[in-house]
Amino acid sequence: MLKEKNVVVTGCLQGIGKETVKIFAENGANILACAYKQDDAFEEYCRLLTEDHKVRVEPIYFDMMDNTAIKAAARTIQRLKIEIHGLVNIAGINRDAYFNMITEQDMHDTFQVNFFSQMIFTQYIVKIMQRYKTAGSIVFTSSVTAFDGNAGQVCYGASKAALVGAMKSMALELGAAGIRVNVIAPGVIDTPMTRSLSDEIIDDRIKKMDIPHLGETEDVANMFMYLISDLSTHVTGQTIRVDGGMR
Amino acid sequence: MTNLELYKKSFCETFEIQEDALKGLVYQGIPSWDSVGHMNLVATLEEAFDIMMDTDDVIDLSSYEKGIEILKDHYDIGF
Repeated sequence: MLKEKNVVVTGCLQGIGKETVKIFAENGANILACAYKQDDAFEEYCRLLTEDHKVRVEPIYFDMMDNTAIKAAARTIQRLKIEIHGLVNIAGINRDAYFNMITEQDMHDTFQVNFFSQMIFTQYIVKIMQRYKTAGSIVFTSSVTAFDGNAGQVCYGASKAALVGAMKSMALELGAAGIRVNVIAPGVIDTPMTRSLSDEIIDDRIKKMDIPHLGETEDVANMFMYLISDLSTHVTGQTIRVDGGMR
Repeated sequence: MTNLELYKKSFCETFEIQEDALKGLVYQGIPSWDSVGHMNLVATLEEAFDIMMDTDDVIDLSSYEKGIEILKDHYDIGF
């Protein structure tokens, strides 16, 4: 489904990002797999995917808190002199705290990683897409928290809602250049981040779902694949919930 | 090809204009240098000079002459 597409994916070290790299490789994409720190197991993971699927899965490391590192990573990608067909922004942080307990530093850090850095990195990648006049697809990872709220996730939800607002205007601006922009809003997905929550919280959320179990990382990765693939060439400016019918 | 020739070529090819139209040319001074044309120009300059421009410089690139100044001062391109 993604044969001969070159796709940049951020947040690949674990969870949804790691699964997305696997599914994209299985479907023929070459992947620039971005992670915040070098990791031997991840290098091996990328190497095996490269071998098994005859694609190129190349790790790129940078910290989303560091604008200089973000630019250096974009420069590395630019110097490859290849078309970039897709960008999937998955990297994010979550520092749960009730409203009156949120520190200013946590507010800044959450927005830095979940919003500002994603905008900056995407600016660079869009320039590469425009250089090659590529019909590109950009996907951001929001959250159902952006729409439904969740106690203890004021900053996280706000940063994820900011992505939705940005996406709507980016889709308007970039559509003429053939670049689509969409958002996926995952619900409760079985990831290391979710597993850090108490059983009580997880059970409470599952009760709100039409399909009453945790989503799998594969469920989200498959939606990324659809939005990056040519199956969705007329889909832009949309937010798609992958949440098992959460109410 | 000198850097100045490369710079001129980037403008002429991006905006489909002749070299004699370059002096004094400003952003939105011709129909083809609109916001989309601007990003095409940036992409062309980045490719031509093997650079990646900061967003502040993308915004500052307001004229043909200003672009030379930016490339000289921020990217060590000699003219």
